[in-house]
Amino acid sequence: MSVVEVLLGIDLGSTTTKAVALDRTGRVIGRGITNTRSNYEVASQIVREEALVQSRFELVRHAMEADPELSGIENKFIGSLVRNFRQRQHLEQLESLESALHHGADAPRYAAQYDSIQDALNNICQVMRLRVPGHFSELAVRKSDFFRDLAAADYMQAAEQFSNPKHARFDVLCGLFDAAILVVENAAGDRAFERHAAPALDQTLAVAPADIRGREAKLRAAVESVRSLELRVLGMVGTGYGRQRLPFPKEQIRSEILCHGLGAHTMFAGTRTVLDIGGQDTKAIQVDGNGIVTSFQMNDRCAAGCGRYLGYIADEMNLGLHELGNLALESTCSVKINSTCTVFAGAELRDRLSLGQKVPDILAGLHRAIMLRAMSLLARSGGISDEFTFTGGVARNPAAVSALQGLVQQNYGVRKLNISPESIYTGALGAALFAQRAAEAGNAP
Amino acid sequence: MNVKSKSGESILAAGIDVGSSAVKFALANVAEDGSATVLALHNERIRRRDLRKVIREGYDVSLQAAGVRQSEVAYIASTGEGELVDFRRGHFYGMTTHARGAVFLLPGTAAVIDIGALHARAMRVDERSRVMAYRMTSQCASGSGQFLENVARYLGIMLEDVGPLSCEAKTPEAVSSICAVLAETDVINMVSRGISRSDILKGIHLSMAGRYTKLLRSIGASGDVAITGGLAADIGLCRALEEKIDEEKIAMRVRTHPDSIYAGAIGAALWGAYRHRVLARRTEVVA
Repeated sequence: MSVVEVLLGIDLGSTTTKAVALDRTGRVIGRGITNTRSNYEVASQIVREEALVQSRFELVRHAMEADPELSGIENKFIGSLVRNFRQRQHLEQLESLESALHHGADAPRYAAQYDSIQDALNNICQVMRLRVPGHFSELAVRKSDFFRDLAAADYMQAAEQFSNPKHARFDVLCGLFDAAILVVENAAGDRAFERHAAPALDQTLAVAPADIRGREAKLRAAVESVRSLELRVLGMVGTGYGRQRLPFPKEQIRSEILCHGLGAHTMFAGTRTVLDIGGQDTKAIQVDGNGIVTSFQMNDRCAAGCGRYLGYIADEMNLGLHELGNLALESTCSVKINSTCTVFAGAELRDRLSLGQKVPDILAGLHRAIMLRAMSLLARSGGISDEFTFTGGVARNPAAVSALQGLVQQNYGVRKLNISPESIYTGALGAALFAQRAAEAGNAP
Repeated sequence: MNVKSKSGESILAAGIDVGSSAVKFALANVAEDGSATVLALHNERIRRRDLRKVIREGYDVSLQAAGVRQSEVAYIASTGEGELVDFRRGHFYGMTTHARGAVFLLPGTAAVIDIGALHARAMRVDERSRVMAYRMTSQCASGSGQFLENVARYLGIMLEDVGPLSCEAKTPEAVSSICAVLAETDVINMVSRGISRSDILKGIHLSMAGRYTKLLRSIGASGDVAITGGLAADIGLCRALEEKIDEEKIAMRVRTHPDSIYAGAIGAALWGAYRHRVLARRTEVVA
C-alpha cells in the first residue's frame, strides 16, 4: 500500500474548528471545518478526518491532472463526486438525527402525546429527506455548509407545519431538535472516504455526461487508488481558543496569535497589520517582515465585535452565515444600531423589523457596528500599516469587508487590503507550518 | 365597546404581556370593588415566529380557555412591548402592571423583582401597588433570562428542566458574570471539565441571584419580595435567590406564586378594568 505523508494544523475556534493538511513540500492539500462546539476532542477528530477526506479528493485531482486522458475534466468530475459524497454524508447524519429525535420523544413526560409527537417527527423527517437532493444539486446555493444549519432550517419550517397546539407543540418539537442535534454533532463519522467514495462514484457516473462516462474505467481506478492510500500524519500542531483542551501534548500547541501572524505572512508576504475576527476573539496583530508578531490587542470577553455577534444575528433571523453579508449589501440606507450587547442588538433587530424597517438596512448597521469595534482595537495595537490583511471567518463576509474598507479609507487613507477566500483557515495554516518546520528539523511533533 | 357593562356590574378584562421571548395572556373578571377572579392564563413562547400571529392566536386560545367571546371583553390592555397588539384599547407600562399583578397574587408584597428575558427590574411598592422606587439592570444581557435560555440550549435541556436540575446541585460551579453569547463556550468548557449540568446551572443561578440582591438592596427593599416575569417559574433561581438573601443576611423573604409569570398580564387586565370604569363613569356624567 502506498503512503502519502501529511502535516496537520488544527485551529480550535470557539465557533468552528478548522484543519489544514500540508504535504511534505508545504503545499496545502486539504482543509476541514466543523461547527461542532460541544466537545473539542470530537471537533478535532472531525476536522482531522475532514481535512484528510479533502486531501484524498485533492490527490484524485493530482492523479487526473497527471494523466493526459483525464486532465481537463477534473473540475467537472470532482465537483460532482464531492456533491454526491456530501449528500451521502448528510443523509447518514439525517438518519442518526431521526433516531435521536425519536429516542428523545420516548421520554415519559411525552407519554400522553406519544403518538402525535412521533407522527409529527415522522412527517418532519420525511420532508427533510425530500429536501436533501435540492441542497446538493449542482446549482444549489446552500445557506451553510454545516449539517446543523441546514437541518435546523428544514426542521423548523416543517415543525411549524406539523405542530399543533394540543398534542405536538411547536415548543416541544424545537426542544427535541436542540437535544437531538447535539447527539448527531458529537458522533465523529469515521473513515468517511472509505465508506462513501465508492457509492458516490457510482452515483456520479450514473448521470455523468458522455465525456466522463467514456473514461469510466480510468476514473474508477484513480478513485480506487486514492481510496486505498494510507495518509500518514507525520506531525500535528494545534492552536486556537480551545487549544488547552486539545487532546495532544504541550509541545504540539502554539498560540493563535503566532499562528495567525505566520499564516497571514505566508498567504501575503507583504503583510504588516493583521485583523482577525473569529468567533469570539477579535485580534489586531502587527507583524514584521518575517511574520513575527511585534504587538497585538485582543477584545474583552464580550461577543459584541466578534463573529459570534453576526452568528447570533443570523440565528435570530433563521439565516445562514453565508447569506447575511450579501443581504446587507443590498442596503440603501444603513441604520444606526443603538445596542452594544449582542443579545440586545438581537432584540433591537426584532423591534426594528416589526416597525417595518428593511432587513438589509438593519443588517448593514449591524455590520458597521462590529467593524467600529474592530477599528478601536486596531488603533490600540498601533494602527494600520501597509499591507493590511483581514483574516478569520468574518473576512468571508462581503458586507463586513466593505464596511471595513470604508472605515480604513476614512481613518488611515489608502491601504492595500488582502483577503483570501481561505482566510478562515489562516490560523490552522500557521499551525500546520509550525508542524512542518518541526518535521523538517527532524523532531516531528 | 361593551355597552352593557355599567359601573356596579363585574366586567371582563384581558391583559397581554408581550415579552421579548414569550407572550403572556390573562383574562379576568373584575368586580366593582376591584376584587377579581382570573378566568384564564396562557403563555406562548415566541421562538422566532411572527409576533403578530403569536399574539392573535394566543389571545384566541385564552378566550377559548375562559369560554368567553371576544365581544364580551370590555377592555384589552397590553403591557411590555405591546405596540404589536393592534387590537388593544390601552397600554400600561411594564413596571406598574408587574407591581399590580404581584400585589394581587401575593398580598403583603413590599418589593417586586421582575426577571424577564432581557432585563431584571427591582421595584419597591406600597400596599396599593404604587411603585415607590426602582432599579434596572444595565445594557448587557449577562445574567438575563435570555442568557439562561441560551445556556439551556447549549446543554441540550428543556427550559422547564433547568430549575429542578439546579436544585440537585451538590457543589455549584462558581461563575463570574459572563457574556450571554460567549457563555456557550464557557459552558462547553465546564462540560468538558466534567462538571455536572446541575452544578453548572446552580452556579449560574447563584451568580444571577447575586445581581438581583444587589438591585434589591440599591432600592432599599425589605420584607416580602415577589418574583415575577418569566423566570419566576424557575424554581432553581428562586432557591438561589433565597440562599443569597440568607447568606447576605438581608431582611427579605422571597415569595412566588404558581401564576407569578403572569403577573404583568394580570396587572394589565386589572389596570385595564380600572381604566374602563373610570372612562365609563366619565361618559355617564357627560351623558
